[in-house]
Amino acid sequence: MSAPLAPAPPTAPSSPSSPRVGDLWRRARGPVAFIAVLFVLALLLSLGARDPREGRLEPEGPNPEGSRALVQILQDRGNDVTVARTAAAALEAAGPDTVTVLVGTHRLPRDQLDSLAEGLDHRILVQPTTPALKALAPGVEMTGRTGEQSLEPRCGLDAASAAGTAESGGEVYTAPQSAGCYPAEGGRALVHVIGESTTTVLGSAAPLTNDRLDDDGNAALALSLIGERDVVWLRPDPVPEEGRSDLWELVPQSLRLSLVPLVATLLLLALWQGRRLGPLVAERLPVVVRASETTEGRAGLYAARRSRDRAAAALRSGTLRRIRPGLGLGPDAAPDSVVDAVAARTGEDPGRLGPLLYGAAQSGAADPYTADDRGLVRLADELDRMEGHLR
Amino acid sequence: MAITGRAVLAAFGATLVVLVAGALGTWLVAAVLVLLAAAILADVVLAPSPRRLRFERSGDTSVRLGETAEVALVVANPARRALRGVIRDAWAPSAGAEPQRRRVRVPGGGRVRVATALTPTRRGDRSAAGVTVRSLGPLGLGARQCTHTVPWAVRTLPPFHSRRHLPGKLSRLRELDGQHTALVRGQGSEFDSLREYVPGDDVRSIDWRATARRDSVVVRTWRPERDRRILIVLDTSRTSAGRVGDVPRLDHAMDAALLLAALAGRAGDRVDLLAFDRRVRAQVRSHGRGSRIPQIVQAMAPLEPELVESDPAGLVSTILGGHSRTRQLVVLLTDLNAAALEEGLLPRLPALTSRHLLMVAAVGDPRVAEMAAERGSTRSVYEAAAAERTLGDRSRITAELRRHGVEVVDAEPDHIAPALADAYIGLKAQGRL
Repeated sequence: MSAPLAPAPPTAPSSPSSPRVGDLWRRARGPVAFIAVLFVLALLLSLGARDPREGRLEPEGPNPEGSRALVQILQDRGNDVTVARTAAAALEAAGPDTVTVLVGTHRLPRDQLDSLAEGLDHRILVQPTTPALKALAPGVEMTGRTGEQSLEPRCGLDAASAAGTAESGGEVYTAPQSAGCYPAEGGRALVHVIGESTTTVLGSAAPLTNDRLDDDGNAALALSLIGERDVVWLRPDPVPEEGRSDLWELVPQSLRLSLVPLVATLLLLALWQGRRLGPLVAERLPVVVRASETTEGRAGLYAARRSRDRAAAALRSGTLRRIRPGLGLGPDAAPDSVVDAVAARTGEDPGRLGPLLYGAAQSGAADPYTADDRGLVRLADELDRMEGHLR
Repeated sequence: MAITGRAVLAAFGATLVVLVAGALGTWLVAAVLVLLAAAILADVVLAPSPRRLRFERSGDTSVRLGETAEVALVVANPARRALRGVIRDAWAPSAGAEPQRRRVRVPGGGRVRVATALTPTRRGDRSAAGVTVRSLGPLGLGARQCTHTVPWAVRTLPPFHSRRHLPGKLSRLRELDGQHTALVRGQGSEFDSLREYVPGDDVRSIDWRATARRDSVVVRTWRPERDRRILIVLDTSRTSAGRVGDVPRLDHAMDAALLLAALAGRAGDRVDLLAFDRRVRAQVRSHGRGSRIPQIVQAMAPLEPELVESDPAGLVSTILGGHSRTRQLVVLLTDLNAAALEEGLLPRLPALTSRHLLMVAAVGDPRVAEMAAERGSTRSVYEAAAAERTLGDRSRITAELRRHGVEVVDAEPDHIAPALADAYIGLKAQGRL
């Protein structure tokens, strides 16, 4: 055979196809400008915004448990409200004419409680801890809890009797030498101790919270307890743990510093491996489908639908197609003549061959081979055997 | 630009330096990082520009499937400085290019030739995708990179495995010729010459008129008819995409078509080629004498099965509207798919068979025959039933085609080419062309 004609080689000259640095910049500047504008906008919008603090009896908290409503009412009435986050700040802000509201006393260590006991003239304790009670309201003891929420004042304290019923139910206290209001089973929910300094212990936080301020006489009680003086609201921040240095501080400085070049190394490694030598090459792939797929699919359908009748008919027609020429019969030979011819050649019983070769159509009765799958397997085997005899 | 492995090593070295001498202070980290960045940046800036390189290609433009072609790439460096780096001549994966990348050093003002060996895994045209050069800086820390378009294409031709059958079939063809003692006479054979009778000749071929003019007995010799037209039609529609073995039906058909074309060319017949699904995909027309095999091979190379239903009406009108109005043998290489043929070709057969002789050749699937013989489990009997159904449809459509006077060749992949050749020789012996 002669050599095939070769297609003419392409004669176009070579040309660089990578973009230049200038092209890259021209292509990228639009998106870069867009992202920069977005960034600046976000920065401007976030200026001045601050996440409000939230928490139980938090003076700046707008949450149901917080006390921002009460604080704002106090400020509107002309009281000066100072928020203190540490005991020292509270002591600094407090004077003879201020009342200090202490919440979250569990965050105060004993020495701070003692200094507060000395430094504060007027104080209101809301659900204090036992150490706080001992330090700030000596003689008052917590005796239990009451399940009732709304209590009657039943005492001579002006603030309480003016407020009337209030949701002061919570912890109850006993104090031998002092006035108490809101009696409940086991003690009183509000205790007023007057000694060198004035201490009020409130067994429930409900009258001070945003959620409950407008229920019953809560607002009246809170305002008359607190609102007579300028207010220092002490809600201590959680105490940082001290005396324990973490792993980071124990690591030598050189190791800590070497992390920076190590990160740079990893970055370079990524750049080195990530940079491809030229673009990927796309290829149009041919269809990969086996020619026998449709036949296999049909077998799957037969099996899934258990259509034994169709499978049996296909097996029988295949066998008939192969044996007919050997018997000297045409494709449109009558079933009887085929059965007779096969019987004559193999010597088998025509009464058995009829159902084997033609199924229900020949025998009139139900097809014995399509009742179950085992029958179908038997049919295939018997057709094979018969065909073997005919050869 | 690009970073090299050496830059990563340098950065790792910097990490070690900080690890050892970190006690000196934080400034060390800054100093080391600045030094590293400056070295890489300087290296990138000082690297010779790969953009200024010029490329030329030369080498093979066609290769048989399974063989290896070599394409050379000449890299010219017009700059004064030498360029050191890595070069990648990219080809599509099925082109089987080797090696994919290599290190080069192109001296200033010099040229370097790099060769790429292509061993395609599929038939068809493969184009070069581009040449990428990464030019290293003097320290080998950074590099500049540029991709150039250097066009070239290599055409992968059908492998023509059935070539090995050609000598045998040619000798069978020669037996038809008057050169052999075994003389075959058919109604279409042509008178060749007169020669003296030798014992063994058919007495029916004695030319009595010539014998009367001479002293000895003279016989006529015959030769098979020549200069007949054969049109090979490849069906490239969806049925040609199915894989028999690991090769699409279309490729088996091409193999058979090539053997037939080679044989017919030697026998003195003219071979045309048409590839068709919904439109003409390839066409080769023979005019005058000479082998058309190279053109046919070139036309076949880029053909791919298309996932469309074939258009038999268009096919018949294309065949009938061809430039040849004379009778020809139309060999249609397709699949004996009952659904496709019954609805498509059968109704339009009379128009075709009234003027031309039609032969349909199809590749049978050995897997279906295997499935038909499976026994034992329920699943395999269902498979056997489905296979019997396929075979039954196939034999029904074969019978239907034969009833219309169409020659049908149905053989397994290994035998389709010789079977088609035999059918052609048989027709020639009968003088039916």
